[in-house]
Amino acid sequence: MQQNNFQVDGSAALEMEDVIFRFYENGKKNILDHASLTVREGTLTVLMGSSGCGKSTLAAVAAGLYPENGGFLLQGSIRLFGKDLKELNPRTRAEYLSVMFQNPDLQFCMATPEKELYFCMENMAVPPEEMKQRVTDTAARFGLESFLTRPLHTLSGGEKQMVSLACLYVVGSRMIILDEAFANIDGEAAKKIFTLLMKMKEQGSTILAIDHRLDLWLEAADEIVILTDGAKVLERGLNRENLEEAREVFRQEGLFFPGEAGKRYNNVKETEEGGQYGESTTCKEENLPAVSFDAVTIFSEVQKRFGREIPSGKKLVENTSFDIPAGTITALLGSSGSGKTTSFLALMKKHPYTGTIRMFGEDIRKKKPEELYRNAGFVFQNPANQFVTQKVEDEVTCGLRIWNPEWTDEDIQREAERLLTAFGLESKRRLSPYMLSQGQQRRLAVLSALSGGQKLLLLDEPTYGQDDRSTEGIMRELLKKKEADGLTVVMITHDRELAERFADRILVLEDRKIRERGM
Amino acid sequence: MKAEKLNPSVKMAVILVGAVALSFQYYITVNVTVFLGFMLMLVFFSNAKKKSILALLLPAFLAALGLFFMGLYYARGNSLSAESMESVSNLPYAVRAAASANLLTALQLATRLLAFAGMGIFFGLTTDGERLVFSLMHQCRLSPKFAYGTLAAVNLLPNMVKEYGQVRTAFEMRGIHVGPVSAKVIFTMLVNSIRWSESVAMAMESKGFCSEEPRTFHYVLHVKWYDILFAVIVLGAIIGGTLILTGIPGSI
Repeated sequence: MQQNNFQVDGSAALEMEDVIFRFYENGKKNILDHASLTVREGTLTVLMGSSGCGKSTLAAVAAGLYPENGGFLLQGSIRLFGKDLKELNPRTRAEYLSVMFQNPDLQFCMATPEKELYFCMENMAVPPEEMKQRVTDTAARFGLESFLTRPLHTLSGGEKQMVSLACLYVVGSRMIILDEAFANIDGEAAKKIFTLLMKMKEQGSTILAIDHRLDLWLEAADEIVILTDGAKVLERGLNRENLEEAREVFRQEGLFFPGEAGKRYNNVKETEEGGQYGESTTCKEENLPAVSFDAVTIFSEVQKRFGREIPSGKKLVENTSFDIPAGTITALLGSSGSGKTTSFLALMKKHPYTGTIRMFGEDIRKKKPEELYRNAGFVFQNPANQFVTQKVEDEVTCGLRIWNPEWTDEDIQREAERLLTAFGLESKRRLSPYMLSQGQQRRLAVLSALSGGQKLLLLDEPTYGQDDRSTEGIMRELLKKKEADGLTVVMITHDRELAERFADRILVLEDRKIRERGM
Repeated sequence: MKAEKLNPSVKMAVILVGAVALSFQYYITVNVTVFLGFMLMLVFFSNAKKKSILALLLPAFLAALGLFFMGLYYARGNSLSAESMESVSNLPYAVRAAASANLLTALQLATRLLAFAGMGIFFGLTTDGERLVFSLMHQCRLSPKFAYGTLAAVNLLPNMVKEYGQVRTAFEMRGIHVGPVSAKVIFTMLVNSIRWSESVAMAMESKGFCSEEPRTFHYVLHVKWYDILFAVIVLGAIIGGTLILTGIPGSI
């Protein structure tokens, strides 16, 4: 039986000194700008910092993945357990350090968890006769038995991340970096993984967690480090006892200070007049709900037979009815895989359903898709998938032109400039949308989704891949639009706090029903 | 004994060599034997679904038919001499026209195509991609870098299909009409795949994947006696059959 018991003597597991790293040799921007960081063996260190401060790059450089896969290391020394990183090849590096990444879809090269575990052991030259036993033990330890031989692409995000951790366990690295590994999975799954991770720590594993949320880590963290631009250490030596002293730093860097439920985002709702739905002036004019589901049932899959769509798979939503009033912000909560996104797609006529769905009082069955899209914009979890041009500016003008064919070029230009300025993207107008940060990409996606004057905005996981400040920025803009134009926003999220902060109403998808939850 | 158990590299080599051997002979008998032989193996000694066999055979037959008529009407030279045509001049004109065209060449071409198709279908339906890659690595010294890179790409395909659907939906919702093949959707997919391949490569490397160090293997495919037997029978039938028929004058 494999036992990753490491002798811990408290010396440094990772030492980075004065590291300069950039992606373009002749570029001006150093992603890591004189970055230094030391992590002691056997500890749990949490690395925090706003999006784009270089924390993920820091992880990749520490693991030797950069500059091997891109970029230039101009200066500095990196040592893993006392060994110079430059002298280690990927195999020996993995003995010391491996990384668990944010996107669970892009971590595996084999078809099933079982095969992936074998792949990892083969990499580390584990004797073949030991492998089968180790897979059995690891599967038991990480609870993978039920899906060990299922194709990886059919697993949920949480299951995939669990497989990923199991892989790092069989690789047997002494140190593990988690690069926002919980950003994409629901709270339950994250807790399960965290518990197993702590077990590994007890046996001497060193853990470096990168996260912009602290909740999960706070109790167990030995040290919390806050990074600022260029991955420079702004504050270190923090733990749950002295965290209070750093409250100001958290605020300044736009980070979530733990335990501040409700105050995490600056007081938004209190500053509005009549933030609760029904009281706002805009929605009094029209009593028609923006969206209404009437006895709707949605199946998870659709089979096409002879050109007809036949629902199959399990029921995601069953005989559910609810209304979403116009001019409100509504959050839809529910565990991952429960069918939130599919319900959105049904609303956009992209997934079949039974029952009646109305948008602004009209049955969507009787509407052409184009008419629906004129009324409702959709921002996907990965906004990069919805860009249709190669320039930020064109992205906006293109949308304006489609929805307002009667406008002159000047009108369009003027309106595009106004919108870009309002969303803080005017300095990026000549860049490619793919070069923007995640937060900027989402802002641009919102902007272009609303360029036809859409009255309803569907947001799928607006927090994905962003820090609090970016999320708050977008939510504030949407609040303004709600007040000014009576925009209706429906967002899918697993972030309860975000929902409580910004939503007028919270709906929960549970046991195949969408119900209102008390605030 | 199932055809799936054959070593994929041996199977591939046999079929490649067999195909070359087939291209250098003109015996309809050999072609038909090879075609029928592989079909029988598929039906009785493999797990291939009858439905998939038929689905693949249909286009092969259509192509063979096309080739047959092309050979019949457009090939140069006659398979039947003018004298023999005279003796059957009481036959209808159409039959004589067809017969005077190159019936033999047409049959040779069409059956050869069927033989090729039979081998291809046999290989395709009885070979698992993963086993083939592993076998190429063990038997043909394919570097693990290529082998696992290929597997990673293949296993990403389901994700790509999902993403492709999402991109199309996103475009439609933005009011952009997307046809079956849209350059814009493909561009977005290309941007995605570059990002993905980089991420997957980094994840593999982070788990210790390394081309410089030797690796162990959980499962190694070997060449067994039945692989040799398979090679001997198939190649023996093609090459031996050709040689025997060459010795018998007038055989087709």
